[in-house]
Amino acid sequence: MSTGKRAWAALGLLLSLAAATWLWHERTQLLAFPDILSAFSAKEYCSCRYVLQNSADYCQSYIKQYLPLSSLSEDAGQRRVLASGLGRSNTAAWVGPRQGCRLIPGSDG
Amino acid sequence: MPRLLILSISLLCALPVCAQNWPSERWSQVPAPASPAIAALEQYAFVARDDAVREGVRTDALLVVRDGEIVYERYAGPGAADRVHATWSISKSLLATVMGVAYGEGRFALQDAAADYFQPLAQHRDIRVQDLFHWASGLDWQEDYEYAPLNSSVVAMLYTRGQRDMASYAASHGRAYPPGEHFRYSSGDSNLLAAALRNMVGLHEYPDYPWQALFTPLGIDQAVWETDASGTFVASSYAYLTARDLARVGLLMQRDGQWRGRQLLPQAWVAFNRTPFAPSEHVAREPAAGAHWWLNSNMAWPHAPRSTMAALGHWGQALYVLPEQRLVVVRYADDRDGSFSHDALLQRIVAAFAAPGGQ
Repeated sequence: MSTGKRAWAALGLLLSLAAATWLWHERTQLLAFPDILSAFSAKEYCSCRYVLQNSADYCQSYIKQYLPLSSLSEDAGQRRVLASGLGRSNTAAWVGPRQGCRLIPGSDG
Repeated sequence: MPRLLILSISLLCALPVCAQNWPSERWSQVPAPASPAIAALEQYAFVARDDAVREGVRTDALLVVRDGEIVYERYAGPGAADRVHATWSISKSLLATVMGVAYGEGRFALQDAAADYFQPLAQHRDIRVQDLFHWASGLDWQEDYEYAPLNSSVVAMLYTRGQRDMASYAASHGRAYPPGEHFRYSSGDSNLLAAALRNMVGLHEYPDYPWQALFTPLGIDQAVWETDASGTFVASSYAYLTARDLARVGLLMQRDGQWRGRQLLPQAWVAFNRTPFAPSEHVAREPAAGAHWWLNSNMAWPHAPRSTMAALGHWGQALYVLPEQRLVVVRYADDRDGSFSHDALLQRIVAAFAAPGGQ
């Protein structure tokens, strides 16, 4: 191996090590990251509809982010909202007139 | 008999409470006549809105109370007089007001270790209750919202790893500074206070406490305050009130914690809220932090009075109290870009509504 090639290989190894270190360091954040979109959407859509009592059209626009959801469905009778995006799903539900909405733990799939 | 009645009324009216207007079930409304200054305010606050692009100043509600009476009120978009609105971080100042009542009842002292009321803080026994009120816990917290979602402690607290028990999630953070020395705005500190309140007032009273302590005495009957799955009030973000009801909290602060002749908040508590925390005074273009309220003591808003205090929330929510001008202003909004300016709004509010001789 020429000196030039060896330097490139060393740099490549260093970069992969740095990337691996970063991935390990940020592992908890990275694992949680895909849930943000659907959890935010489910919770804020639920509050927009059942606490603020806005229309479905208004609330869909209210929660819109740069990344699109793959689906958003609500059960108006049960006041439950299921949002999916980035491969994860989250559910929020209205729990009472004073308590409003909250995410339902364990609903992420 | 009528003489006695007149005498007792006149005796009663010698007290300052009689000279003041207070809202009962409803506010008294004395709309200010149209003026060029009000037109200029509306030109700033209410522009034609396009919900598809969500650009510019997007005011949902603007309510002005002077001397305890509504002098101006206008709604747009989803706003309406009888509808609650998201307050976002105004919730933090509401929590401080609820806790002011608990303070007056002797439920805690500012020097107490927060860990005395919230066990997960045991590894941070040097954090005092007052440090949490100053957003000076010293915990290594990242407050960024949508621009840095990966490392944002707030996003993780509200939506992912922290959502089941937000205060425990905040307590699990490491240390960046010694407590009480550095200002670092933190929604985690606010939710730690909300969790501490549970043990200050007891499990039994806690779920009703904001209503029992504050909302009911003020005549606020439409409040919603969401909790996490552990039952802790999301004091950082999730209280919902009508503009008219939020103005009641503003009037309570304007009048030094007094409500209809009753000292609901100790004067010492309101003084605590109004005292700037020195390390917070030098953040560029940001008002200083009092105890869970914002203060214009550093003239970050150059066109507003120095004595202005405010509760501020994400996407443009604001409750401003101008004690010298005897004004309370509620603004609800859905501002999604940086174009709204508190200073620009307050400049127009003062021009339109500051009472003559009230300076």
